[in-house]
Amino acid sequence: MAGEAISTATTAPEPLADWDALAARARNLRRTKAVVLYAFLIAVSLPIILPYFWLVTIAFSAKTGVAETAVLWRSMAVVVPTVIALWLAAAFAQSRRQTWIGMAVIAAVAVIAFTLLVGPDLHVGNFIFLWEPDFASVVRSRIGEVKGAVQFPNVWHAFANSILIAGAQTAIVVTVASLAAYYLSRFQFPGRSAMLRSLLVLHAFPVMTLIVPMFLMLYWIGLLDTLAGVILVLVAFELPFAIFIMKGFFDAVPWDIEMSALTDGASRRQAFLKIVLPQVRNGILAIAVFTFIRGWEEYIFVFTFLIRNTNWTMSLYMYWARDDVMGVDYGVVSAVGVFYLVPSLILYMAAQRYLMQMSIGGVKG
Amino acid sequence: MAKIEFRNVVKRFGKVEVIPDMNLVIEDGEFVALLGPSGCGKSTSLFMLAGIYVPSGGELLFDGHVVNEVEARDRNVGIVFQSYALYPHMSVRDNILFPLRFKKTPHEEALGRVKAAAELVRVAELLERRPSELSGGQQQRVALARALVKEPQLLLLDEPLSNLDATLRLSMRTEIKSLQEKLGVTTVLVTHDQIEATTMADRIICMRAGRIEQIGTPDDLYLRPSSLFVASFIGSPPINLIAGEAQSGTVTVNGARFPIEGASGAVTVGLRPEHLKFGDAGFVGRIAQIEPMGREILYVVETNIGTVRVLEQGSSAGYPLGEEVKIGFLPGHSLVFETARQKLIAGAHVRAPA
Repeated sequence: MAGEAISTATTAPEPLADWDALAARARNLRRTKAVVLYAFLIAVSLPIILPYFWLVTIAFSAKTGVAETAVLWRSMAVVVPTVIALWLAAAFAQSRRQTWIGMAVIAAVAVIAFTLLVGPDLHVGNFIFLWEPDFASVVRSRIGEVKGAVQFPNVWHAFANSILIAGAQTAIVVTVASLAAYYLSRFQFPGRSAMLRSLLVLHAFPVMTLIVPMFLMLYWIGLLDTLAGVILVLVAFELPFAIFIMKGFFDAVPWDIEMSALTDGASRRQAFLKIVLPQVRNGILAIAVFTFIRGWEEYIFVFTFLIRNTNWTMSLYMYWARDDVMGVDYGVVSAVGVFYLVPSLILYMAAQRYLMQMSIGGVKG
Repeated sequence: MAKIEFRNVVKRFGKVEVIPDMNLVIEDGEFVALLGPSGCGKSTSLFMLAGIYVPSGGELLFDGHVVNEVEARDRNVGIVFQSYALYPHMSVRDNILFPLRFKKTPHEEALGRVKAAAELVRVAELLERRPSELSGGQQQRVALARALVKEPQLLLLDEPLSNLDATLRLSMRTEIKSLQEKLGVTTVLVTHDQIEATTMADRIICMRAGRIEQIGTPDDLYLRPSSLFVASFIGSPPINLIAGEAQSGTVTVNGARFPIEGASGAVTVGLRPEHLKFGDAGFVGRIAQIEPMGREILYVVETNIGTVRVLEQGSSAGYPLGEEVKIGFLPGHSLVFETARQKLIAGAHVRAPA
């Protein structure tokens, strides 16, 4: 059939339509679409990139007591054309090779321009808090105002507290959520569907509404102003969603391989650990990363439930740094921000591959 | 190797009784097939044998010992699933090795047995690969090797061929059959495909709605089906069934009169397509459709007793579309069933009208 159709088409004496005109129209349409798409991408990517870029630039360039913005404008003069040029390179490159070469050239030019325009202003003095716990007094003394500085703990202490909270929360959530989700996915028991529904409802409540009762509860059990108390609260709020995500992953693991493991001589526990868990590895990684980052960035609960400065986390440190030295030295505040940002950034970059799979895998497995 | 026995086995899921009362003996070294449409309880029976389901009542015996409560891992049963159920995160070697890890087999010996099992099913050169890098047929072989490596006393096959393409299915059929003969392991095959059952099994257990309809050799089920259900389930193309009323030695269907022996009342006559012949005598019809099947030709004939399928030998149609034909058959080939109870009436026959 197909063979016949082709042979009649090629032997047809007269073309029925002006093919060249049709092809030209399609080509123009494709070009217009590409132009609109890339204009949109430039328009949305700039406002996302610029603040982060400024944050880093300020952290490495601002000086105590000086409100100078010329550096920012100069840096912007480098970044904005770079972003536009990168998108254009992506749009017009004919091959993967061209894309890479184009981007490398643009990056090289941008680095040179940045070194020339912004380079002379760069310094690491704003990261004083890393080696000077009482940096607030030092910074204030530079402009002659010494009184009333907040007593900051060592920043590494706050860093360790944040790691402890996020890490412990992640460990508990991953363990409990995998076990609970496995049970929900595999076993029938009275109230199973009600439980699943309530998991979703729990997640729908704004957690802020519970802050006062939570405070009272922690006070009465004696966990107020302890890291353990905050960890328990965070675990309680993160669990429903994590269980729900994990249940989806367990549902996608076929019964057959589990039954196969059982007849192969494994106990239920061995089948779970050796056969089922490896199948949901991506799900575990995904909820681990999300839970860790949630714990890392947690602010409201630590602000409410933690009081002593030895219990501060990075978010509280950031808050007090802003509160105390913002008017004097926004460079130091930005530097704290950069320091606070780096671990999440590293984690996201390391786990990106698995997080991408979750958005696909969560649905179809 | 084991002799398997079901004694009044009952299986309920909640209020639903999937298997009301099952009695069955499978001899040591026998290859039996559990055949039936989906939902007939054949897979449930298989999972009870594997130890994944616990019977709700009755006794399940391996070599005379009640195993109702014995856990799956202690039964020494090998199982091959329709999906093969290989462990995706393990290499083929680790897959086959997995059952031996729980038997505390010394590592050297275990590796030797893995190699032997892999060679038995001809996957020895694939040991380093992951299951996702194998074709369906290769995965099937690996699943077989994994089931056989622990030298099971019972091998269970759950629709093992359904996911293979037609050619591969044919060769795997032969391979599994000869493997089973070589090893002499008691084997239970679960399938809804009558061809698989009749070609591989020594005995077929035909099931329907949790009950055993008939147990017998492939020949028994084909030539002497005990009920209408078995007659219509076995055989391809399906048997022609003609319902009528037998009175004083004649079945009358829509004016056609068939002489009958040995039965009276409401009967259903079963005639297999390959037993019907075009000729000078018989009931009259008109050819409505011709379906060449290679070695044979299937004619769909409209008659006044309904649509009848006739299978003729030969590769080219001897009768054109629309031709008026007469269809005859030998009385010995006819099957007569009691319509009300759907059971075969032994010894009853009909003749073609003259």
